[in-house]
Amino acid sequence: MAEEIAGRTAAEIRANTASLLEQRRQRRYVMRSLLRSPTFMIGSGIVVFWVLMALFSMHLTQSPFDVNPMSTLQAPSSAHWLGTDDLGRDVLARTLAGARSVLVIAPIATLLALLWGTVIGLISGFYRGITDEVIMRLVDVLLALPVVITSILILSLLGRSVAIVIIVIGVLFTPLVSRTVRSAVLREREHEYVMASRLRGERSWFVMAGEILPNITAPIIVEGTVRLGYAVFTAATLSFLGFGLQPPSPDWGLTISSERLFVQLAWWTVIFPAVALASLVVGVNLITDGLGRVLSK
Amino acid sequence: MTRLIIRRLLLMVPTLILVSLLIFALSQILPGDLGRTILGPYATPAQVTALNHKLGADQPIAQRYLSWAGHFITGNWGESPVLQQRVFPMVMQAFSNSLLLAALALVVIIPLAILLGVVAGLRKDGLLDRSITISTLSLTVIPEFVSGVILLVIFAVTLKWLPVTALAPPGSNIFTRLYYLILPAIPLMFIELGYIARMARVGTVEVLARPYIRTAVLKGLPRRRVIFGHVLRNAMVPTVTVIGGQIGWLVGGLVVVETLFGYPGLGKLLVDAATSHDVLILEAGVLIVAVIYMLSNLTADVIVALLDPRVRQRG
Amino acid sequence: MSDASAQDVGRTDEAAPAAVDVRDLEVTFHRRGRDLPVLRGITLRIEAGEAYGLVGESGCGKTTLAMAVLRYLASNGTVDRGSVLVDGQDVSKLSEEALRKWRGEAVAMVYQDPAAALSPAMRIGDQICEIFRYHEGLSKAEARVRAREALRRVALPDPDATMRRYPFELSGGQQQRVVIAMALASNPRLLILDEPTTGLDATVEAEILDLIEELRGRINAAILLITHNLGLVARLCNRVGVLYAGRLVEEGPAREIFTDPRHPYTMGLLRCVPRFGMNKTDAALQTIPGTLPALGERKPGCIYADRCPMVKPVCLRREPDLLAWPSDAAAHARAEAEAAPADPLAFSPHHANPVGEAARHARCYFSAEVPEMPATTPVLSAPDAAAAARSSSDVLEMDTVRRSFRDGRKRLVAVHDVSLKINRGETFGLVGESGSGKTTLAKCVTGLIAADSGVISFEGKRLKPTAGRRSQAALRAIQMVFQNPDSTLNPAWSTRGILTRAVRKLGGLSSSAARAKVDELAADVRVEPRFLLQKPNDLSGGQKQRIAIARAFAGDPTMVVCDEPASALDVSVQASILNLLVELQASESVSYIFISHDLAVVRYVSDRIGVMYLAELIEVGSAEEVFNPPHHPYTEALLSSIPTLDFDDSHQRIPLRGSMPSLSEPPSGCRFHTRCHRFLGDICVEQEPPLQEAVTGHTYKCHIPPGELLQLQAATEPTAPIEV
Repeated sequence: MAEEIAGRTAAEIRANTASLLEQRRQRRYVMRSLLRSPTFMIGSGIVVFWVLMALFSMHLTQSPFDVNPMSTLQAPSSAHWLGTDDLGRDVLARTLAGARSVLVIAPIATLLALLWGTVIGLISGFYRGITDEVIMRLVDVLLALPVVITSILILSLLGRSVAIVIIVIGVLFTPLVSRTVRSAVLREREHEYVMASRLRGERSWFVMAGEILPNITAPIIVEGTVRLGYAVFTAATLSFLGFGLQPPSPDWGLTISSERLFVQLAWWTVIFPAVALASLVVGVNLITDGLGRVLSK
Repeated sequence: MTRLIIRRLLLMVPTLILVSLLIFALSQILPGDLGRTILGPYATPAQVTALNHKLGADQPIAQRYLSWAGHFITGNWGESPVLQQRVFPMVMQAFSNSLLLAALALVVIIPLAILLGVVAGLRKDGLLDRSITISTLSLTVIPEFVSGVILLVIFAVTLKWLPVTALAPPGSNIFTRLYYLILPAIPLMFIELGYIARMARVGTVEVLARPYIRTAVLKGLPRRRVIFGHVLRNAMVPTVTVIGGQIGWLVGGLVVVETLFGYPGLGKLLVDAATSHDVLILEAGVLIVAVIYMLSNLTADVIVALLDPRVRQRG
Repeated sequence: MSDASAQDVGRTDEAAPAAVDVRDLEVTFHRRGRDLPVLRGITLRIEAGEAYGLVGESGCGKTTLAMAVLRYLASNGTVDRGSVLVDGQDVSKLSEEALRKWRGEAVAMVYQDPAAALSPAMRIGDQICEIFRYHEGLSKAEARVRAREALRRVALPDPDATMRRYPFELSGGQQQRVVIAMALASNPRLLILDEPTTGLDATVEAEILDLIEELRGRINAAILLITHNLGLVARLCNRVGVLYAGRLVEEGPAREIFTDPRHPYTMGLLRCVPRFGMNKTDAALQTIPGTLPALGERKPGCIYADRCPMVKPVCLRREPDLLAWPSDAAAHARAEAEAAPADPLAFSPHHANPVGEAARHARCYFSAEVPEMPATTPVLSAPDAAAAARSSSDVLEMDTVRRSFRDGRKRLVAVHDVSLKINRGETFGLVGESGSGKTTLAKCVTGLIAADSGVISFEGKRLKPTAGRRSQAALRAIQMVFQNPDSTLNPAWSTRGILTRAVRKLGGLSSSAARAKVDELAADVRVEPRFLLQKPNDLSGGQKQRIAIARAFAGDPTMVVCDEPASALDVSVQASILNLLVELQASESVSYIFISHDLAVVRYVSDRIGVMYLAELIEVGSAEEVFNPPHHPYTEALLSSIPTLDFDDSHQRIPLRGSMPSLSEPPSGCRFHTRCHRFLGDICVEQEPPLQEAVTGHTYKCHIPPGELLQLQAATEPTAPIEV
């Protein structure tokens, strides 16, 4: 009897290990494919670079806030590698530091949208019927309002703090996430394991969270990275239009907006933040592209 | 078919009502009172009260909504207290300016994007596909003001091929006006290019994998016939739907581009109104945008119904 | 020694080229850096006017063969060796343009899923016309004339109206006729049919087969029929080739192969399919142990060795060639293999074999001993225990159950006033075609769908319509096994997790007791413990379905609804699942409601059977009673439409007129009157038929009384359909 149990346990342990190894192998296969995907790697490289800059640029460069009325609008030189702006501040320092604001706002807003959108999409897709109809109507209503315009409407009325920008973007992206989640849920719902679940008397929340949700993580992740790209886009646009951060923040959108008056005299004040922003957005979207390809295999 | 259109139009009504409620509600959550916010802290209480009464801000909220909604439908959009002009003609003029710019961008980019997307889909995973995908992807995610600024610096400032402003001198003919709009239209084109091309590519790839394409090929049909007769029609369905939904982003793009180039379109009008808390313009403008969005979705749905008979049947 | 029966069907060279001549074809798929040999050494010949059936289970490569013939392999598939000649023309040597023309004129294909094979946004007429316009350069008007003619040839009424329609507006049978019309439009030399009737209802299938048979007489094309359905091949084909894991293991005249198989796999297939009239009390189904090899898997020696009940050491030394039968080629080859050094991975091309072409071949060293192949399962599966478990007390009772759906503006009544009783420990088979309502009824029983009206009682107590409202005890007692093994288990959970949850929720056991119970369940369904730790995606289809069955039994149910539990599985796996279900019924004394479209399977498994037509239960009785006269005319027609392996069966096919009426507008009076071959007259149109009782317990709804019906049906000749 004891040997039986011991034997079974040993065999089980072996089998258990085998299965864990199998799962780890599958995860590693995904990792390896990601590492081999040039788009994913380049995108990640860019994003990682900017994250590091957001965290550490202040220690590497001159201060982005030092005003120097003597050397305004200087062309790039050995003293200021990317030149100076209209207040004599170092453009390189400001360009590198500008990543910080966007990298705070966009990811948090995206996470909020993912969270709310997933919950709404799950409920709407699972229950169907009246609940679904009502929710989808509301989603349509929210989608009828263009993101940028609604944001400026709300921000103009509520004030322009970072927190409000984050929440506004999060709320306005929620409908799109909920739509994607809802379609994924509708597909899963027809599978027989969901029916089997109901025949066991499982509660609705258990079916949604325990049965369906684990099977729709891939589309949610992809949607998340797509939203992240758009969140960066939107946050930058809002600060360009004057509804995001306020001076003297080195935020890219804000900088481009305030420096564009000088574009004919000093193109460097505008071009470098523009290229920096472009690179970050492209980086995020390369990640999305690479991730999407690997996860859809 | 007509039944489909009528049904969709009728469905638009409750959505529109809800949208208008939402817009109205948002503009009512202004902390403090309306008159004070518009006139600023230096106006006298009497002036504030007078303005509030003029704007009808002292009436109960339901009545205010109904009178606003009623006035909107009849075209009586009031007078902007900030700019001292009637709202309706202002918004309409701005709208027509924006329409010209948007039309230029869309007319050029939609066919081009579809072409690129379909070609990429037909040559999936080939060199052409990867290069088209990467380039359209990169262009589409760059915010309009970024690409706008870069293009401005290169083409208007440095090379001086195109004008720096977007507004042609008054009295210019349509072609001159369009010439001035080339530079602002390009960032809009970039944004739409990626999204439409991607959808066209996905649609093409999905259709190519379908069994009926195998049937067509094994029937011995020439490749051109297979592509034009069988692939395109079905691949266009998701693409057209997406184009309809893209109007929202286009409007956002208009806001940015018009601000950047100082073009008096609807977008710039809305931004200025938001900055100066000109509520009447804001409400009217956003509602117009919502209506346009719903109409463009409706048009897309109608085109899809023309393409796909199954949709027509379901009504 | 020359083989006496080298009566060649087509010795090459001198005679006219065969319609299809495949020699030593080898096709490899390249996937993720690995080379998977999918087809190996395929050699077959089809003459003009001959029909050749290619049978095999999933993954054997039959569709790949068709694609290789058409030169339409996926980009990662290559033809590594061998040749395909159609009418003497080497397919691989055609230029792109020539290939295109050749595809339009010389060969044609009919596909498995006709709805998917037709372009959804193009009218039927345009899809047919384009063949004529692009191949023969006809004008629009001329093409339309030809298209009309093509549609008439496949017996589609009102060709003009059909041409204006879109594919989704036609029924499955009509769609397939259109596909056939398109295939025959250019008078091809070779017609390939890939599972042409899978997914179609039995009666529709029979019609399509009638059509194919009739057209065969008129065209002189060679036909290649690819299917897993042996009965189909027996009905249509002169010769047959059996494909296993990419090899031809047996080939020859159809009749001989099915009555006297000479390869263990063929014998195994024939034994595991329930023959008509067989019941579980007669014998267990003989299963084929083991699993189908993975795609491109290489095995030492004979590819079938690890599943063969007759395997001997020599089988692993070298893979046998396609040896002529009857002859002593097998004995020779065996001696050679034993003498020569072992070469397990070697494979010699067929045409290197100096014994020329024969009428029949088998890839086995022991063909002579195949008729005495030992059984793999005990013959009887404890019928006494099963009989003892059965009692006449009711377990489930349904009274005037009704359920309808709304489809747009129309109201479809899916289940119309169905009443029936199910006894303890019995298997109640439910048959019917699509739209009959059997699945809806089953879902009402389990509570997945709520019945609109009527009462469903379990052990005397009334059940709540929806599962969500039922008590835990009720849920435990009535469980369900679903059709699709791939989606029946949650892919994100481990198998053990799935069973543990079921055991704890349904059985209410604590975690330690649950563990033991899960192990017990796995043992009952014969799944080894190591598979429990894997995710469902790593299990085979058969294993997944076993786990699904274990899950249903987790709470010791009283009744299990089985909705096509084996239909999505290969034939060899199906048998083991059916045996398992029968066994469990005996040991656990459960009742089954068994739904299947396969009448032989239902007959085998069921004690009593109910037949549904257009939402009504039109006949109930014991399996024996329902399947023999007197029985409802619909049942009669249904039974006659099944293609059997019985070559001496002289039963008449009874074609049904018209097509299945829509559920939203059921015919008045007797619902079957629009298609009935025993139509009486106005009484059938005006009055609802009464419930006739042939013997106690056997009832059916018809205006013809049992005595008269028995006379009519026993005569085997159907009465001529009376014109309405």
